[in-house]
Amino acid sequence: MLNYIWISLVAIAIVAAVGNDIKDEVQNSYRNGIPMSATFVVSKSPAGTAQMWEGEVVMSGEAFDQFYGIQAQKSDVRQPVSVAVSSNLQGSLLLPVTDASPEYWRQMAKYATTKDRLTGKIQSIEFSPNGSSAQLRFVLESIKFVKMKAVTQAALDFASTAVEISIGLIGIMALWLGLMKIAEDAGFILILTKILAPLTRRIFPEIPPDHPAVGAMIMNIAANMLGLNNAATPLGLKAMEELNKLNPKAGTATNAMVTFLTINTGGLVLIPATAIAVRAAAGSSNPGIIISTSIVGATCATIAGVAASKLLQRLPRYRKDIES
Amino acid sequence: MLEFLRTAINLISIIAIPAMILIILGWGFFKKVKVYEVFVEGAKEGFDTAVRIIPYLVAMLFAIGVFRASGAMDVLTSILSPVTNLIGMPPEALPMAFMRPLSGSGSLGLMTEIMKAHGPDSFTGVLVSTMYGSSETTFYVLAVYFGAVQIKNARHAVPAGLIADLFGMLGALFVCRILFSQ
Repeated sequence: MLNYIWISLVAIAIVAAVGNDIKDEVQNSYRNGIPMSATFVVSKSPAGTAQMWEGEVVMSGEAFDQFYGIQAQKSDVRQPVSVAVSSNLQGSLLLPVTDASPEYWRQMAKYATTKDRLTGKIQSIEFSPNGSSAQLRFVLESIKFVKMKAVTQAALDFASTAVEISIGLIGIMALWLGLMKIAEDAGFILILTKILAPLTRRIFPEIPPDHPAVGAMIMNIAANMLGLNNAATPLGLKAMEELNKLNPKAGTATNAMVTFLTINTGGLVLIPATAIAVRAAAGSSNPGIIISTSIVGATCATIAGVAASKLLQRLPRYRKDIES
Repeated sequence: MLEFLRTAINLISIIAIPAMILIILGWGFFKKVKVYEVFVEGAKEGFDTAVRIIPYLVAMLFAIGVFRASGAMDVLTSILSPVTNLIGMPPEALPMAFMRPLSGSGSLGLMTEIMKAHGPDSFTGVLVSTMYGSSETTFYVLAVYFGAVQIKNARHAVPAGLIADLFGMLGALFVCRILFSQ
């Protein structure tokens, strides 16, 4: 199943990227080659021989939306720009894209020739009598194959993100595995497993109730519920390693491993701290309102997951993997 | 009562790690375990485990990354929007349901975006934050946990995990509709 999902994700992504790029090309979503009209408000006139102006491109949000056929730009556009006009009246302009720039331009600039700046050619520029502003007609550089470029970039970025995450785990892994080893040698884990044996025997019937795996699993689940992610992952991996010691067939997941994994993916947390923090940052009048609803949702997920793992493990297609 | 419970849980999660460290070390010392030596011995495995995960995590995150970047999510959402209308889910919340099992950072970004657009206390805002809190990033957990023990044949882990996610999302929708429906 994982093979199919994996290949589907990649194949769908590439097909969708090609499709989206063809759609952009047909609709000319980035208005390649179409001139745009705007007011140029001058803040710095040329000094000396250089024909360089600095200032802002100003246009209303409606005009911007209409030009690109979108509904996104709420406020008026005030985009810093530098304009250069050479002697034969060939002009070019440069838009350094910042956080204040229209979102659409920011997206375009990600895939421009030089990152984070859009360049363009000036078709006409007519200054007002006092020279403080001008009417500007310009064509921005062509933006093409946005999704294909994005997919390429994502493939490289996420590959290195994966390594960063793994390397970042080394320290906390070492800390918790060290502590767990002490807890094991001191018999602390054994006591924990004995207390909770009636429960764990039901959920993990294949695991001997006094096996160290049980202790690690209990500590992982407790850390998860308290939202201690830094402790939960190392404890969970420790539990997996202990479960793997009981695995007769290396490389293939056992029933207990799958059940334990679904308990983890269910994600039962008593305080969903991240969601609450984001709600508070967004200005919620009651960020904690989702605690109860999240517990209900995660309980549904956990119960459904454990039940599903117990039912699915009886299917012949999954049984044959561990029996043969 | 609820407020008290919240404070209590918050307090427990703050003191949990120091308490656990103290109890484990204290207990070990009391039982005459050579705490320092044993700690180092256990910690040695940390490096191997973390490095073992790398190929699994690269495979998983690469696939999820290109999927997110391609804009395939929008296509999927538009195909499935009739179904969500049927069960009373706001169409904006649908990408969240897909993203949650795939990517933690992706669903965090979606949640932030939706709350900015609709307000954190709107029905959609409460729903997406509940959805975020109702499940873990299934594919990430799978890659890390199975990667650590070199499991290549996941057997029924993926369908079971996805069933859990489906019920988590439906449970979130159900409870939000009962408590906060306009």
